[in-house]
Amino acid sequence: MGDYTWFHDVSWHSTYAIYFFVIGVCAGLAFLSYGSWKTPALRPLREKAAYGSFILLVIGGILLIADLSQPLRFLNVLNPAYLNFNSPLAWGALNILAFSVASVVYLTMLRKGDEKTSRLLATIVALLALGLPIYTGYDLSAHQSRPVWNTPIMPVLFVALAVASGSAVGALLAGANDAAQRILREYMLWSTGAVGVILISILGTTNYGGSAQELTYLIMTTGSMGLIFIGIGLLAGTAAPVALLLAPTGRQQGGLMLSAVLILVGSAALRYALLMGPQQLQTLY
Amino acid sequence: MSEELRVSDIETRGKAGKKRYAMVVDVRRCIGCMACQVACKAEFDTPLGVNRTWVPYKVIGKYPTVRKAFLPRLCNHCDDAPCVRNCPVEATFKVEDGGFILQRYERCIGCRSCMAACPYNARFMLPSHRTYTPITNVVDKCTFCFHRVTQNLVPACVQTCIGRSRVFGDINDPNSEVSYLVANNATQVLRPEEGTKPHVFYIGADRNQTEFGRDAYRKPEVMEQERSAFKRHFKI
Repeated sequence: MGDYTWFHDVSWHSTYAIYFFVIGVCAGLAFLSYGSWKTPALRPLREKAAYGSFILLVIGGILLIADLSQPLRFLNVLNPAYLNFNSPLAWGALNILAFSVASVVYLTMLRKGDEKTSRLLATIVALLALGLPIYTGYDLSAHQSRPVWNTPIMPVLFVALAVASGSAVGALLAGANDAAQRILREYMLWSTGAVGVILISILGTTNYGGSAQELTYLIMTTGSMGLIFIGIGLLAGTAAPVALLLAPTGRQQGGLMLSAVLILVGSAALRYALLMGPQQLQTLY
Repeated sequence: MSEELRVSDIETRGKAGKKRYAMVVDVRRCIGCMACQVACKAEFDTPLGVNRTWVPYKVIGKYPTVRKAFLPRLCNHCDDAPCVRNCPVEATFKVEDGGFILQRYERCIGCRSCMAACPYNARFMLPSHRTYTPITNVVDKCTFCFHRVTQNLVPACVQTCIGRSRVFGDINDPNSEVSYLVANNATQVLRPEEGTKPHVFYIGADRNQTEFGRDAYRKPEVMEQERSAFKRHFKI
């Protein structure tokens, strides 16, 4: 009462959350396209996953550039004279660039039907795709003053989310292909399980942290942010699909499809909550 | 017996032959007139809705022993600045001699990574409309009035402070007023746990102001009402 609080704005808005989701699915699909060279059951997904990954990369790139307040200056990030290698964002930009080039060459070789080169390129694309969720997670964890973000497990969480959401899209693309669905069920089950374990450990360390952590925990677990994070992200998007995939219905096509949809909705909600929740307290300081 | 302070490469405080500017804010002398805020606005044509320096206050205590606790805020010109580390294009940089953290406007891409990195909320995005200055849509912050200090003047906020609450000078100079104040008073910096080595020192700051308030969460709906009222006229 009678206080004068300066209300600051959050630094990163929800566009970033959409970008995180899109680039996560993009990486996940790149993993699937690579996996199709190792696992014959995934062979029907090879081209679909590769094209899907590239389309999402384009969408993600547009989102990322459009979110800059000086969109045309995005080329500054590619200028070697300006680049700051201490910044995770700089490494991320280089990673995206290398991934884009490798994806284009990979798609070209797939169209040509050059199996030997495509196989090699699939490995390179998958390795570069691994860098995408790692850099997005590291981008958050590098901010030492932000509770939840500043945990070393954040890049691992983003990798698990990328595998889960990529496999979910793969399951939707696979349609009635039983062999592919069986493999994708395993991918979804283990990656979503990993997401759940990581989230619980993050919640634990946040709740037992200092006052900033404690207040952020409260912000993230109650009210509208609680509904998104706990309700949609953790319960509907993580626990429910794991339970469904373990149940006999999860082995049938309908159950698998439902799990895939839940995982996609949940992973989008989690990315939103993980981005926006930890920024709220800072706006009051 | 005191041990010599070890200084890392990035630090400029205590480095021989280098200046290291710092500000001491004696909040016991702050009367909350906001003249510093106005002087800063006038000096830099800072638009509505954003500030390089601001003076929030809290009402502390219970009637009849109540008082207002002011806490003038600005960029802390950290020795180990997370904004410098996080900027992907080196638009934010540290001046070696003086320790100023400055911004290259023509290079800033507006990714707001520096804003996310700053534990003090000292950075803000300039709106797209400004009256006298063409610098828009880039991140801005306090410069410790670099242009004035290099002309042997003190920052505008220090110049105007009616209670001499703000004192500015070279902390590497043992004869400066800031060195004297830091050496002879119990001072504190904001969020020391972040390891940023800030160079704005407070004397007599109230912990209700320097720490995250527990009431930040207690009444979210009241907070949201206040926030929407605060932002009503600011479309940035």
